[in-house]
Amino acid sequence: MVATIIIERAGPLVTIQDAGRFGYLAHGISASGPMDAGAFRRAGMLAGSGEAAGIEFSMLGLDLLVADGEALMGWDGGRFEVSINGQKQNWPGSARLVAGDRMSISAGTVGNYGYLRFGGEIDVPAVMGSGATSLRVRIGGLEGRALKAGDRLGLVGEGVAPAAVSPTNTADGPIRFVWGLHAEVFDAALRDQFVTSAFRISSMMDRMGVRLRDEARVFAEARILSLVSDPVVVGDIQILGDGTPIVLGRDHQPTGGYPRIGTIISADLDRFFQLRPNAEVMFAPVGLDHAQALLRAGT
Amino acid sequence: MGQVQILPERPMVQTLGDSTILVRFGSRLDENANRRAIGFAAALEDEPVAGIAEIVPSLVSVLLRYDPLTSRHQDIEGEIRLRLQGALEARVGGTYRIGVRFGGDTGPDLDEIAGMLKVSTQEFVARHNALPLRVLATGFAPGFVYCGFHDEALVLPRRDKVRALVPAGSVLFAAGQTAIAATDIPTGWHVIGHTDFSNFAPDAEPPTRLRVGDSVTFEVA
Repeated sequence: MVATIIIERAGPLVTIQDAGRFGYLAHGISASGPMDAGAFRRAGMLAGSGEAAGIEFSMLGLDLLVADGEALMGWDGGRFEVSINGQKQNWPGSARLVAGDRMSISAGTVGNYGYLRFGGEIDVPAVMGSGATSLRVRIGGLEGRALKAGDRLGLVGEGVAPAAVSPTNTADGPIRFVWGLHAEVFDAALRDQFVTSAFRISSMMDRMGVRLRDEARVFAEARILSLVSDPVVVGDIQILGDGTPIVLGRDHQPTGGYPRIGTIISADLDRFFQLRPNAEVMFAPVGLDHAQALLRAGT
Repeated sequence: MGQVQILPERPMVQTLGDSTILVRFGSRLDENANRRAIGFAAALEDEPVAGIAEIVPSLVSVLLRYDPLTSRHQDIEGEIRLRLQGALEARVGGTYRIGVRFGGDTGPDLDEIAGMLKVSTQEFVARHNALPLRVLATGFAPGFVYCGFHDEALVLPRRDKVRALVPAGSVLFAAGQTAIAATDIPTGWHVIGHTDFSNFAPDAEPPTRLRVGDSVTFEVA
Protein backbone atom coordinates (compact mmCIF):
# COMPACT_ATOMS: atom_id res chain seq x y z
CA MET A 1 0.00 0.00 0.00
CA VAL A 2 1.29 3.41 -0.93
CA ALA A 3 -0.89 6.44 -0.53
CA THR A 4 -0.79 10.10 0.35
CA ILE A 5 -3.46 11.71 2.45
CA ILE A 6 -3.98 15.42 2.92
CA ILE A 7 -5.57 16.74 6.11
CA GLU A 8 -8.22 19.23 4.93
CA ARG A 9 -9.57 20.13 8.36
CA ALA A 10 -8.29 19.27 11.83
CA GLY A 11 -10.10 19.91 15.10
CA PRO A 12 -8.02 20.51 18.20
CA LEU A 13 -5.66 17.78 19.45
CA VAL A 14 -5.41 15.69 16.30
CA THR A 15 -2.15 13.81 16.79
CA ILE A 16 -0.26 10.81 15.48
CA GLN A 17 -0.04 8.14 18.17
CA ASP A 18 1.29 4.62 18.48
CA ALA A 19 1.17 2.42 21.60
CA GLY A 20 3.55 4.82 23.36
CA ARG A 21 7.17 5.71 24.01
CA PHE A 22 8.00 3.69 27.10
CA GLY A 23 11.27 3.70 29.01
CA TYR A 24 12.20 7.38 29.03
CA LEU A 25 10.69 8.65 32.29
CA ALA A 26 14.15 9.08 33.80
CA HIS A 27 14.91 11.41 30.89
CA GLY A 28 11.81 13.44 31.68
CA ILE A 29 9.59 12.02 28.93
CA SER A 30 6.26 10.34 29.67
CA ALA A 31 5.00 7.62 27.34
CA SER A 32 2.17 9.43 25.47
CA GLY A 33 0.15 6.97 23.34
CA PRO A 34 -3.61 6.80 22.79
CA MET A 35 -5.88 8.21 25.49
CA ASP A 36 -8.29 5.31 24.76
CA ALA A 37 -5.89 2.44 24.17
CA GLY A 38 -8.65 -0.13 23.59
CA ALA A 39 -10.31 1.92 20.85
CA PHE A 40 -6.92 2.50 19.25
CA ARG A 41 -6.32 -1.25 19.18
CA ARG A 42 -9.76 -2.02 17.75
CA ALA A 43 -9.41 0.59 14.99
CA GLY A 44 -6.07 -1.02 14.18
CA MET A 45 -7.60 -4.48 13.89
CA LEU A 46 -10.23 -3.14 11.47
CA ALA A 47 -7.53 -1.57 9.31
CA GLY A 48 -4.96 -4.35 9.59
CA SER A 49 -2.58 -1.83 11.12
CA GLY A 50 -0.48 -4.08 13.34
CA GLU A 51 1.78 -1.99 15.57
CA ALA A 52 1.76 1.00 13.21
CA ALA A 53 0.88 4.49 14.34
CA GLY A 54 -2.54 5.99 13.66
CA ILE A 55 -4.34 9.28 14.10
CA GLU A 56 -6.06 10.27 17.34
CA PHE A 57 -8.66 13.00 17.00
CA SER A 58 -10.73 14.84 19.57
CA MET A 59 -14.40 15.81 19.66
CA LEU A 60 -14.46 17.88 16.45
CA GLY A 61 -12.80 15.20 14.30
CA LEU A 62 -11.06 15.89 10.98
CA ASP A 63 -11.53 15.83 7.20
CA LEU A 64 -9.06 14.26 4.82
CA LEU A 65 -8.51 13.63 1.13
CA VAL A 66 -6.71 10.67 -0.38
CA ALA A 67 -4.43 12.49 -2.83
CA ASP A 68 -2.99 9.40 -4.46
CA GLY A 69 -2.81 5.64 -4.02
CA GLU A 70 -5.25 3.68 -1.93
CA ALA A 71 -5.50 2.62 1.70
CA LEU A 72 -7.59 0.48 4.00
CA MET A 73 -8.77 2.58 6.94
CA GLY A 74 -10.43 1.56 10.22
CA TRP A 75 -12.05 3.75 12.85
CA ASP A 76 -13.32 3.39 16.41
CA GLY A 77 -13.47 5.20 19.76
CA GLY A 78 -16.46 7.00 21.24
CA ARG A 79 -19.18 7.53 18.66
CA PHE A 80 -18.52 10.07 15.91
CA GLU A 81 -20.24 10.87 12.61
CA VAL A 82 -18.25 9.58 9.63
CA SER A 83 -18.87 9.86 5.92
CA ILE A 84 -16.93 9.01 2.77
CA ASN A 85 -17.69 11.20 -0.26
CA GLY A 86 -20.82 12.32 1.56
CA GLN A 87 -22.06 8.77 2.24
CA LYS A 88 -22.65 8.11 5.92
CA GLN A 89 -20.71 5.13 7.32
CA ASN A 90 -21.09 2.95 10.39
CA TRP A 91 -19.20 3.70 13.60
CA PRO A 92 -16.94 1.79 14.20
CA GLY A 93 -16.11 0.63 10.72
CA SER A 94 -13.60 0.28 7.93
CA ALA A 95 -13.33 1.00 4.22
CA ARG A 96 -10.82 1.02 1.40
CA LEU A 97 -10.32 4.55 0.11
CA VAL A 98 -8.77 5.42 -3.26
CA ALA A 99 -7.33 8.57 -4.80
CA GLY A 100 -9.89 11.36 -4.81
CA ASP A 101 -11.95 9.97 -1.91
CA ARG A 102 -12.78 12.33 0.92
CA MET A 103 -13.46 11.25 4.49
CA SER A 104 -15.13 13.48 7.04
CA ILE A 105 -15.27 12.68 10.75
CA SER A 106 -17.32 15.09 12.85
CA ALA A 107 -18.72 15.43 16.34
CA GLY A 108 -20.90 12.59 17.55
CA THR A 109 -22.75 11.63 20.67
CA VAL A 110 -20.21 9.82 22.81
CA GLY A 111 -16.61 10.31 23.86
CA ASN A 112 -13.71 12.71 23.53
CA TYR A 113 -11.29 10.69 21.40
CA GLY A 114 -11.52 8.63 18.24
CA TYR A 115 -8.95 6.80 16.12
CA LEU A 116 -8.27 6.41 12.43
CA ARG A 117 -5.78 3.73 11.49
CA PHE A 118 -4.39 2.45 8.23
CA GLY A 119 -3.31 -0.82 6.63
CA GLY A 120 0.28 0.40 6.62
CA GLU A 121 2.65 2.81 8.33
CA ILE A 122 2.39 6.58 8.51
CA ASP A 123 5.69 7.75 7.04
CA VAL A 124 7.07 9.83 9.92
CA PRO A 125 10.42 9.29 11.66
CA ALA A 126 10.47 7.36 14.93
CA VAL A 127 11.79 9.43 17.83
CA MET A 128 13.25 7.29 20.64
CA GLY A 129 11.70 4.27 18.98
CA SER A 130 8.16 5.62 18.77
CA GLY A 131 5.94 7.61 16.44
CA ALA A 132 3.74 8.86 19.29
CA THR A 133 3.34 12.62 19.47
CA SER A 134 4.15 14.17 22.87
CA LEU A 135 2.60 17.62 22.84
CA ARG A 136 4.33 18.33 26.16
CA VAL A 137 7.82 17.54 24.90
CA ARG A 138 7.05 18.47 21.27
CA ILE A 139 8.51 15.30 19.80
CA GLY A 140 7.20 12.43 17.69
CA GLY A 141 4.41 12.26 15.12
CA LEU A 142 4.65 15.09 12.60
CA GLU A 143 7.24 17.58 13.89
CA GLY A 144 6.12 16.98 17.47
CA ARG A 145 2.89 18.89 16.95
CA ALA A 146 -0.84 18.46 16.41
CA LEU A 147 -1.90 17.94 12.79
CA LYS A 148 -3.42 20.87 10.92
CA ALA A 149 -5.13 21.56 7.61
CA GLY A 150 -2.71 21.18 4.71
CA ASP A 151 -0.53 18.50 6.30
CA ARG A 152 0.38 15.66 3.91
CA LEU A 153 1.00 12.19 5.30
CA GLY A 154 2.53 9.33 3.33
CA LEU A 155 1.26 5.80 3.97
CA VAL A 156 3.68 2.95 3.23
CA GLY A 157 3.96 -0.79 3.79
CA GLU A 158 1.48 -3.62 3.75
CA GLY A 159 0.08 -3.83 7.28
CA VAL A 160 -1.37 -7.11 8.51
CA ALA A 161 -4.60 -9.01 7.87
CA PRO A 162 -7.57 -6.97 9.09
CA ALA A 163 -9.88 -8.55 11.65
CA ALA A 164 -13.40 -8.01 12.87
CA VAL A 165 -13.86 -6.58 16.35
CA SER A 166 -16.52 -7.67 18.77
CA PRO A 167 -18.87 -4.96 20.04
CA THR A 168 -17.38 -3.18 23.00
CA ASN A 169 -18.80 -3.85 26.40
CA THR A 170 -19.27 -0.27 27.58
CA ALA A 171 -19.06 -0.73 31.33
CA ASP A 172 -21.04 1.75 33.33
CA GLY A 173 -20.80 2.71 36.97
CA PRO A 174 -18.12 4.33 39.04
CA ILE A 175 -14.53 4.73 37.92
CA ARG A 176 -12.43 2.32 39.92
CA PHE A 177 -9.17 3.31 41.55
CA VAL A 178 -6.60 2.00 43.99
CA TRP A 179 -5.82 4.18 47.01
CA GLY A 180 -2.91 6.44 46.29
CA LEU A 181 0.55 7.14 47.44
CA HIS A 182 -0.59 9.83 49.87
CA ALA A 183 -4.03 8.54 50.86
CA GLU A 184 -2.93 8.91 54.50
CA VAL A 185 -2.60 12.67 54.03
CA PHE A 186 -6.40 12.78 53.88
CA ASP A 187 -8.32 11.81 57.01
CA ALA A 188 -10.82 8.94 57.07
CA ALA A 189 -13.89 11.19 56.86
CA LEU A 190 -12.53 12.92 53.78
CA ARG A 191 -11.60 9.62 52.13
CA ASP A 192 -15.13 8.45 52.80
CA GLN A 193 -16.55 11.60 51.21
CA PHE A 194 -14.30 11.08 48.20
CA VAL A 195 -15.89 7.71 47.43
CA THR A 196 -19.48 8.77 48.14
CA SER A 197 -19.57 12.15 46.36
CA ALA A 198 -20.14 12.94 42.70
CA PHE A 199 -17.58 14.96 40.75
CA ARG A 200 -17.94 16.45 37.29
CA ILE A 201 -15.55 16.41 34.36
CA SER A 202 -14.59 20.03 33.67
CA SER A 203 -13.90 21.55 30.28
CA MET A 204 -10.24 21.92 31.27
CA MET A 205 -9.01 18.67 29.81
CA ASP A 206 -6.30 17.71 27.39
CA ARG A 207 -3.81 14.91 26.88
CA MET A 208 -1.86 16.04 29.95
CA GLY A 209 -4.69 15.96 32.46
CA VAL A 210 -8.38 16.27 33.23
CA ARG A 211 -9.57 18.70 35.90
CA LEU A 212 -12.61 17.71 37.93
CA ARG A 213 -15.28 19.98 39.37
CA ASP A 214 -15.69 19.29 43.07
CA GLU A 215 -19.28 20.49 43.49
CA ALA A 216 -19.69 18.61 46.78
CA ARG A 217 -16.69 20.59 48.07
CA VAL A 218 -14.96 17.43 49.26
CA PHE A 219 -11.51 19.02 49.07
CA ALA A 220 -12.55 22.66 49.49
CA GLU A 221 -11.48 22.89 53.12
CA ALA A 222 -8.69 20.31 53.00
CA ARG A 223 -5.30 21.66 53.90
CA ILE A 224 -3.23 20.50 50.95
CA LEU A 225 0.38 19.87 51.75
CA SER A 226 3.15 20.45 49.30
CA LEU A 227 5.25 17.30 49.21
CA VAL A 228 8.68 16.32 47.96
CA SER A 229 8.42 15.50 44.25
CA ASP A 230 8.06 11.84 43.36
CA PRO A 231 7.40 10.17 39.99
CA VAL A 232 3.76 10.26 38.87
CA VAL A 233 1.85 7.86 36.63
CA VAL A 234 -1.09 8.12 34.24
CA GLY A 235 -4.39 7.99 36.14
CA ASP A 236 -2.99 9.56 39.31
CA ILE A 237 -5.65 11.67 41.04
CA GLN A 238 -3.76 14.71 42.35
CA ILE A 239 -5.28 17.33 44.60
CA LEU A 240 -3.90 20.76 43.72
CA GLY A 241 -3.17 23.43 46.32
CA ASP A 242 -6.58 25.08 45.82
CA GLY A 243 -8.37 21.74 46.29
CA THR A 244 -8.98 21.03 42.58
CA PRO A 245 -8.69 17.33 41.73
CA ILE A 246 -6.86 16.58 38.48
CA VAL A 247 -6.41 13.20 36.82
CA LEU A 248 -3.13 12.88 34.94
CA GLY A 249 -3.30 11.92 31.25
CA ARG A 250 -0.96 10.11 28.86
CA ASP A 251 1.20 13.22 28.26
CA HIS A 252 1.56 13.75 32.01
CA GLN A 253 4.41 15.54 33.70
CA PRO A 254 6.91 12.90 34.86
CA THR A 255 7.08 14.06 38.50
CA GLY A 256 4.81 15.92 40.87
CA GLY A 257 4.62 17.27 44.40
CA TYR A 258 0.86 17.37 45.02
CA PRO A 259 -0.78 14.69 47.17
CA ARG A 260 -2.35 11.81 45.27
CA ILE A 261 -5.40 10.29 46.88
CA GLY A 262 -5.68 7.49 44.37
CA THR A 263 -4.79 6.14 40.94
CA ILE A 264 -7.41 5.07 38.40
CA ILE A 265 -6.92 1.42 37.49
CA SER A 266 -5.59 0.58 34.03
CA ALA A 267 -8.83 -1.23 33.11
CA ASP A 268 -10.87 1.98 33.62
CA LEU A 269 -8.52 4.59 32.11
CA ASP A 270 -9.99 4.39 28.59
CA ARG A 271 -13.51 4.81 29.92
CA PHE A 272 -12.52 7.73 32.16
CA PHE A 273 -10.72 9.65 29.41
CA GLN A 274 -13.79 9.30 27.16
CA LEU A 275 -16.04 11.04 29.74
CA ARG A 276 -17.14 14.34 28.32
CA PRO A 277 -17.11 17.72 30.06
CA ASN A 278 -19.99 18.02 32.51
CA ALA A 279 -20.34 14.23 32.85
CA GLU A 280 -20.83 13.11 36.42
CA VAL A 281 -18.21 10.74 37.78
CA MET A 282 -17.97 8.78 40.99
CA PHE A 283 -14.97 6.86 42.24
CA ALA A 284 -14.92 3.40 43.80
CA PRO A 285 -11.87 1.88 45.50
CA VAL A 286 -10.70 -1.60 44.57
CA GLY A 287 -7.77 -3.69 45.73
CA LEU A 288 -4.64 -4.15 43.65
CA ASP A 289 -5.30 -7.82 42.91
CA HIS A 290 -8.80 -7.00 41.69
CA ALA A 291 -7.48 -4.16 39.51
CA GLN A 292 -4.96 -6.48 37.88
CA ALA A 293 -7.51 -9.27 37.43
CA LEU A 294 -9.77 -6.80 35.58
CA LEU A 295 -6.87 -5.84 33.34
CA ARG A 296 -6.11 -9.49 32.55
CA ALA A 297 -9.78 -10.14 31.80
CA GLY A 298 -9.71 -7.24 29.35
CA THR A 299 -12.76 -5.54 30.83
CA MET B 1 -4.04 12.82 59.72
CA GLY B 2 -0.63 13.72 58.52
CA GLN B 3 1.97 12.46 56.24
CA VAL B 4 3.81 9.25 57.03
CA GLN B 5 7.42 9.98 58.00
CA ILE B 6 9.81 7.78 56.08
CA LEU B 7 13.38 7.28 57.23
CA PRO B 8 16.14 6.55 54.71
CA GLU B 9 17.14 3.47 56.71
CA ARG B 10 13.57 2.14 56.66
CA PRO B 11 12.42 2.57 53.06
CA MET B 12 8.77 2.07 52.23
CA VAL B 13 7.72 -0.15 49.32
CA GLN B 14 4.38 1.15 48.03
CA THR B 15 2.23 0.25 45.08
CA LEU B 16 1.42 3.19 42.82
CA GLY B 17 -1.50 2.39 40.55
CA ASP B 18 -1.65 -1.18 39.24
CA SER B 19 1.52 -1.27 37.16
CA THR B 20 4.22 0.46 39.23
CA ILE B 21 5.89 0.20 42.61
CA LEU B 22 7.48 3.18 44.35
CA VAL B 23 10.33 2.59 46.78
CA ARG B 24 10.47 5.66 49.02
CA PHE B 25 13.56 6.51 51.05
CA GLY B 26 12.17 9.71 52.54
CA SER B 27 9.14 11.92 52.87
CA ARG B 28 11.27 15.03 52.51
CA LEU B 29 14.38 15.84 50.53
CA ASP B 30 17.64 15.15 52.30
CA GLU B 31 21.08 14.02 51.27
CA ASN B 32 20.93 10.56 52.79
CA ALA B 33 17.54 9.69 51.29
CA ASN B 34 18.68 10.95 47.89
CA ARG B 35 21.93 8.97 47.96
CA ARG B 36 20.09 5.82 48.93
CA ALA B 37 17.50 6.23 46.18
CA ILE B 38 20.21 6.73 43.57
CA GLY B 39 22.27 3.83 44.92
CA PHE B 40 19.29 1.48 44.95
CA ALA B 41 18.33 2.37 41.36
CA ALA B 42 21.93 1.78 40.25
CA ALA B 43 22.02 -1.59 42.03
CA LEU B 44 18.84 -2.68 40.24
CA GLU B 45 20.28 -1.57 36.92
CA ASP B 46 23.44 -3.58 37.58
CA GLU B 47 21.53 -6.69 38.61
CA PRO B 48 18.04 -6.51 37.09
CA VAL B 49 15.01 -8.00 38.78
CA ALA B 50 12.95 -10.17 36.42
CA GLY B 51 9.77 -8.42 35.36
CA ILE B 52 10.86 -4.85 36.01
CA ALA B 53 10.55 -2.95 32.74
CA GLU B 54 11.69 0.52 33.81
CA ILE B 55 13.69 1.96 36.71
CA VAL B 56 13.24 5.66 37.43
CA PRO B 57 15.31 7.23 40.21
CA SER B 58 13.87 10.44 41.63
CA LEU B 59 14.78 12.86 44.47
CA VAL B 60 14.04 10.44 47.33
CA SER B 61 12.34 7.49 45.63
CA VAL B 62 12.66 4.97 42.82
CA LEU B 63 9.77 4.12 40.50
CA LEU B 64 9.66 0.56 39.16
CA ARG B 65 7.32 -0.23 36.28
CA TYR B 66 6.22 -3.78 35.54
CA ASP B 67 3.67 -5.48 33.31
CA PRO B 68 0.85 -6.89 35.45
CA LEU B 69 -0.14 -9.15 32.55
CA THR B 70 3.12 -11.07 32.85
CA SER B 71 4.37 -10.44 36.41
CA ARG B 72 2.87 -10.77 39.87
CA HIS B 73 3.30 -7.71 42.07
CA GLN B 74 3.87 -9.98 45.08
CA ASP B 75 6.90 -11.55 43.38
CA ILE B 76 8.44 -8.21 42.47
CA GLU B 77 7.75 -6.64 45.85
CA GLY B 78 9.23 -9.66 47.61
CA GLU B 79 12.42 -9.44 45.58
CA ILE B 80 12.63 -5.67 46.15
CA ARG B 81 12.37 -6.12 49.92
CA LEU B 82 15.18 -8.67 49.80
CA ARG B 83 17.38 -6.37 47.75
CA LEU B 84 16.75 -3.54 50.22
CA GLN B 85 18.30 -5.70 52.94
CA GLY B 86 21.61 -5.65 51.11
CA ALA B 87 24.25 -2.97 51.41
CA LEU B 88 23.47 0.08 49.29
CA GLU B 89 26.46 1.48 47.51
CA ALA B 90 26.76 5.01 46.22
CA ARG B 91 26.69 5.38 42.46
CA VAL B 92 29.91 6.90 41.19
CA GLY B 93 28.98 8.77 38.06
CA GLY B 94 30.68 10.87 35.44
CA THR B 95 32.30 14.26 36.02
CA TYR B 96 31.23 17.38 34.15
CA ARG B 97 32.35 21.00 34.05
CA ILE B 98 29.54 23.28 32.93
CA GLY B 99 30.18 26.86 31.85
CA VAL B 100 27.59 29.45 32.82
CA ARG B 101 27.15 33.09 31.79
CA PHE B 102 25.95 34.51 35.09
CA GLY B 103 23.60 37.50 35.26
CA GLY B 104 22.65 39.80 32.41
CA ASP B 105 19.48 39.38 30.39
CA THR B 106 19.58 35.60 30.72
CA GLY B 107 20.21 35.65 34.47
CA PRO B 108 17.81 38.35 35.63
CA ASP B 109 17.63 37.31 39.31
CA LEU B 110 21.36 37.17 40.03
CA ASP B 111 21.72 40.62 41.58
CA GLU B 112 18.58 40.23 43.64
CA ILE B 113 19.58 36.93 45.20
CA ALA B 114 23.11 38.14 45.92
CA GLY B 115 21.40 41.01 47.74
CA MET B 116 19.15 38.62 49.65
CA LEU B 117 22.24 36.67 50.72
CA LYS B 118 24.04 39.95 51.52
CA VAL B 119 27.04 39.25 49.30
CA SER B 120 28.29 40.84 46.09
CA THR B 121 27.37 39.10 42.83
CA GLN B 122 31.04 38.18 42.34
CA GLU B 123 31.14 36.65 45.81
CA PHE B 124 27.91 34.76 45.16
CA VAL B 125 29.21 33.35 41.88
CA ALA B 126 32.47 32.32 43.52
CA ARG B 127 30.68 30.52 46.33
CA HIS B 128 28.13 29.00 43.96
CA ASN B 129 30.93 27.50 41.85
CA ALA B 130 33.24 26.58 44.73
CA LEU B 131 32.35 22.93 45.16
CA PRO B 132 31.24 20.15 42.83
CA LEU B 133 27.56 19.26 43.14
CA ARG B 134 25.83 15.94 42.55
CA VAL B 135 23.01 15.42 40.07
CA LEU B 136 20.23 14.67 42.59
CA ALA B 137 17.46 13.88 40.15
CA THR B 138 16.29 14.07 36.56
CA GLY B 139 12.85 13.69 35.10
CA PHE B 140 10.91 16.87 35.91
CA ALA B 141 11.11 17.83 32.23
CA PRO B 142 13.25 16.46 29.38
CA GLY B 143 16.91 16.78 30.33
CA PHE B 144 16.13 18.86 33.42
CA VAL B 145 18.55 18.20 36.30
CA TYR B 146 18.58 19.15 39.97
CA CYS B 147 22.13 19.57 41.36
CA GLY B 148 22.94 19.87 45.05
CA PHE B 149 23.51 20.56 47.69
CA HIS B 150 24.98 24.00 48.28
CA ASP B 151 26.04 24.83 51.81
CA GLU B 152 23.35 26.15 54.09
CA ALA B 153 24.45 29.77 53.79
CA LEU B 154 23.30 29.65 50.15
CA VAL B 155 19.81 28.31 50.79
CA LEU B 156 16.97 30.54 49.52
CA PRO B 157 13.30 29.75 48.94
CA ARG B 158 11.75 29.84 45.49
CA ARG B 159 10.27 33.02 44.04
CA ASP B 160 6.72 34.01 44.95
CA LYS B 161 5.81 34.26 41.30
CA VAL B 162 6.22 31.61 38.64
CA ARG B 163 7.73 32.71 35.34
CA ALA B 164 5.55 31.34 32.54
CA LEU B 165 8.54 30.39 30.41
CA VAL B 166 12.30 30.42 30.72
CA PRO B 167 14.40 29.30 27.76
CA ALA B 168 16.36 26.07 27.46
CA GLY B 169 19.81 26.49 29.02
CA SER B 170 18.52 28.62 31.91
CA VAL B 171 20.45 28.00 35.13
CA LEU B 172 18.09 28.04 38.10
CA PHE B 173 18.73 28.45 41.81
CA ALA B 174 16.58 27.71 44.88
CA ALA B 175 16.27 25.45 47.92
CA GLY B 176 20.01 24.87 48.17
CA GLN B 177 20.20 23.57 44.64
CA THR B 178 21.10 24.63 41.12
CA ALA B 179 19.01 23.25 38.27
CA ILE B 180 19.47 23.36 34.51
CA ALA B 181 16.48 23.64 32.19
CA ALA B 182 17.14 21.71 28.97
CA THR B 183 13.86 22.79 27.36
CA ASP B 184 11.67 25.88 27.67
CA ILE B 185 9.77 25.51 30.96
CA PRO B 186 7.75 27.49 33.49
CA THR B 187 9.60 27.88 36.78
CA GLY B 188 9.35 29.47 40.20
CA TRP B 189 13.10 29.22 40.71
CA HIS B 190 15.49 32.17 40.52
CA VAL B 191 17.12 32.46 37.09
CA ILE B 192 20.82 33.21 37.66
CA GLY B 193 22.40 32.54 34.28
CA HIS B 194 22.52 30.59 31.06
CA THR B 195 24.60 27.70 29.77
CA ASP B 196 25.30 26.41 26.28
CA PHE B 197 25.48 22.90 27.74
CA SER B 198 22.53 21.08 26.18
CA ASN B 199 21.20 18.09 28.06
CA PHE B 200 18.45 17.08 25.64
CA ALA B 201 18.84 15.85 22.07
CA PRO B 202 15.77 13.86 20.95
CA ASP B 203 17.68 12.12 18.15
CA ALA B 204 20.57 10.98 20.36
CA GLU B 205 20.59 7.71 22.30
CA PRO B 206 20.38 8.24 25.20
CA PRO B 207 18.56 11.56 24.65
CA THR B 208 20.01 13.12 27.82
CA ARG B 209 23.62 13.02 29.05
CA LEU B 210 23.61 13.83 32.76
CA ARG B 211 22.57 11.00 35.06
CA VAL B 212 21.77 10.93 38.75
CA GLY B 213 24.94 10.66 40.79
CA ASP B 214 27.10 12.48 38.24
CA SER B 215 29.38 15.23 39.56
CA VAL B 216 28.89 18.73 38.15
CA THR B 217 31.18 21.71 38.67
CA PHE B 218 29.85 25.05 37.48
CA GLU B 219 32.29 27.65 36.15
CA VAL B 220 32.13 31.10 34.63
CA ALA B 221 31.88 30.78 30.85
